[in-house]
Amino acid sequence: MSEQTAAGGRPIIDVKGVWKRFGTVDVLKGIDLSIQKSEVTCIIGPSGSGKSTLLRCIAFLEEYSEGEIYIEGELLGFSLENGKRRRVSDAEVARVRRNVGFVFQQFNLWPHMTALENVAAPLRLARGIPREDAAKRARAMLDKVGLSARADAYPSQLSGGQQQRVGIARALAMEPHIMLFDEPTSALDPELVGEVLQVMRDLAREGMTMAVVTHEMGFAAQVADKVVFIDRGVIAVSGSPEQVFRDNDNPRLRQFLQNYFERNVFWQSGDETPADAPAL
Amino acid sequence: MFSIDVALKSLPLLLGASVWTIVYSLSSVAIGFCIGTLMCAAGLSQSPVLRGIAAFYVSFFRGVPLLVQLLLSYYCLPLIGINVPSSVAAVGTLALCTGAYIAEILRGGFLGIPAGLIEAARMVGLSRAQILTRIEVPMAVRFTLPSLVNETTMMVKASSLISVVGVLELTRLAQNIATSTFQPLEIYLTAGVIYFVINAAITFVGSLVERGFRAEKAA
Amino acid sequence: MTFNLAILTDNWPLLLDGMLLTIFIWVVGTAIGLAIGLAVAVLQLFTNRWLAAPLTFYVAVMRGTPFLIQLFVIYYGGPFFGLDLTPLVAGVGGLALYGGAYFSEIFRAGFLSVPPGQIEAARMMGISRLAIIRHVQLPQMLVIILPALANMTVLLSKETAVLSVITVNEMTSVVQSIGSTTFAFAETLLFLAVVYWAFLEIVTALARRLEKRVGRFTLRNQH
Repeated sequence: MSEQTAAGGRPIIDVKGVWKRFGTVDVLKGIDLSIQKSEVTCIIGPSGSGKSTLLRCIAFLEEYSEGEIYIEGELLGFSLENGKRRRVSDAEVARVRRNVGFVFQQFNLWPHMTALENVAAPLRLARGIPREDAAKRARAMLDKVGLSARADAYPSQLSGGQQQRVGIARALAMEPHIMLFDEPTSALDPELVGEVLQVMRDLAREGMTMAVVTHEMGFAAQVADKVVFIDRGVIAVSGSPEQVFRDNDNPRLRQFLQNYFERNVFWQSGDETPADAPAL
Repeated sequence: MFSIDVALKSLPLLLGASVWTIVYSLSSVAIGFCIGTLMCAAGLSQSPVLRGIAAFYVSFFRGVPLLVQLLLSYYCLPLIGINVPSSVAAVGTLALCTGAYIAEILRGGFLGIPAGLIEAARMVGLSRAQILTRIEVPMAVRFTLPSLVNETTMMVKASSLISVVGVLELTRLAQNIATSTFQPLEIYLTAGVIYFVINAAITFVGSLVERGFRAEKAA
Repeated sequence: MTFNLAILTDNWPLLLDGMLLTIFIWVVGTAIGLAIGLAVAVLQLFTNRWLAAPLTFYVAVMRGTPFLIQLFVIYYGGPFFGLDLTPLVAGVGGLALYGGAYFSEIFRAGFLSVPPGQIEAARMMGISRLAIIRHVQLPQMLVIILPALANMTVLLSKETAVLSVITVNEMTSVVQSIGSTTFAFAETLLFLAVVYWAFLEIVTALARRLEKRVGRFTLRNQH
């Protein structure tokens, strides 16, 4: 699937030689990544590898220090004048990323608004959509994530999984061309992870372009068109799930996957070595 | 025109009077701390009578403006046969007033100690008295130090009100100089700067002590 | 010591005038103070540092010096700036400036109490800075800071008594003048104390009820 769409012209996201520095620490060291329409890219890597920072740079929640990020052909966050980078206004940033949806690890729902208001408020405030129309669209979005029955609940009355689904509905309501997911299931109790992943799977099936930072290797293996392994601020491995999970012998990647399996296999018989089990 | 000259000339006099401001406010905080501790203990005790007394005390001294309290003690103490110098009456009133606030601060400090810490102390066999002196009081002091420092600066400011009942301190002297020189702006601004410096110093010392506590925590 | 309560009934109209003026000073001073406090907090947090620095100075000065001295500077020092204010205007203005500094700190803490992730989420949706303040930050923080705001409002009601020193004819001033003509200090001052006390207890109780009523949502499950 990725090969076909890759031929389809301009990528939705194009990251070119991006560096990100926090003080004297280089968190990202020259990232190149492009994401085509309808492609699902899963970004994996150890904690502190820079994978979340990359996603936040693509959303311009962090200013990247060097390089260029293009969203549907438009440079994000900066303007180039005679080769000099200049930070553009917040309004201009908002304009360029208007088609980017973001789902946060901690949901970041607004606790004083009901589920419905969480989805409808941005439509009114950012897009100027009249109240009734915004509510109607919000209801449709909640329905899509299976939460129409909880529309009038406040976030504190919802489970973590439900809150995250509201977070997804809120992003979807803006009709984004690409959805960025920053560890969407990491803050959830294990038994609530499934419902969120199911919503994401449905989205992928509908052809939504997605970039997902995740620790859910099963999801990555099943749904991703491309898996990117980030380690110490660089893309160490990237390719199809088969290439990354099965065929690659990068020692850091093997170690990372080994750790993942050991954490998640809770019972095994005999002396099977889990690293040899690519079936995910 | 603003006259730096007047301000500078009055500065030594005002600084001299500010010593009284410091003495009155700090001694009232010291006495108030003792009253506050007792009232806090009474408020947290089992006895409904003691709790009632503490509640009444805190409610009254926090509920009536300090100026009114000062006027009451100034005019009414002699009526019930208590004749003390006005400065003593004033400091006593300041102490009673700040004591009510300190009682509330300490109460919050004690109630803010996580129950698990007390349970842990009980489980390792500490006595009730040991728990109080070794665990609860040190923790409450650490919790409440910023509030206590803040209360002290509030009392430095509040002590300006005792000028109204004729006690000589910084504000009273500033008034005297202002009326005799007809340069109120310069004099009151100078007095304001002195108050500001006193409070900045108290806040600074407080932050040093706090940092000491924090270093202890990190070690 | 005998109590002559006739003093109070005889001077009832004067006392009532004083009471009404005290309430007027309190309400107007608090309202302006709240407006100043919100404006200062917003300007400090969301504009550049050249605007924030003088505001920080203002807050530090108002919090670090006695209210009485501030009133003296405004009332007696005002004419030297060409500000010839009546005692009432100087008093209400002083109370508002004094309260505004404390309110600004409360609002500031409130703004900072809203988790940054929620602001990020709003920014990601393309909501403007002002709309974020109005629709995301203010409604949440008001619930959180309501007790502190109520507490400060109650404190300001007590500070109104200080206005008597610059000859504003509010309750404390009226009582003192009745006392000095009749020498019935005990009756009048005790009456004054009880009135303030009752007033504060009522306002505090109302504030508690208000606090309970708002906040249909709880913040506990949010990070």
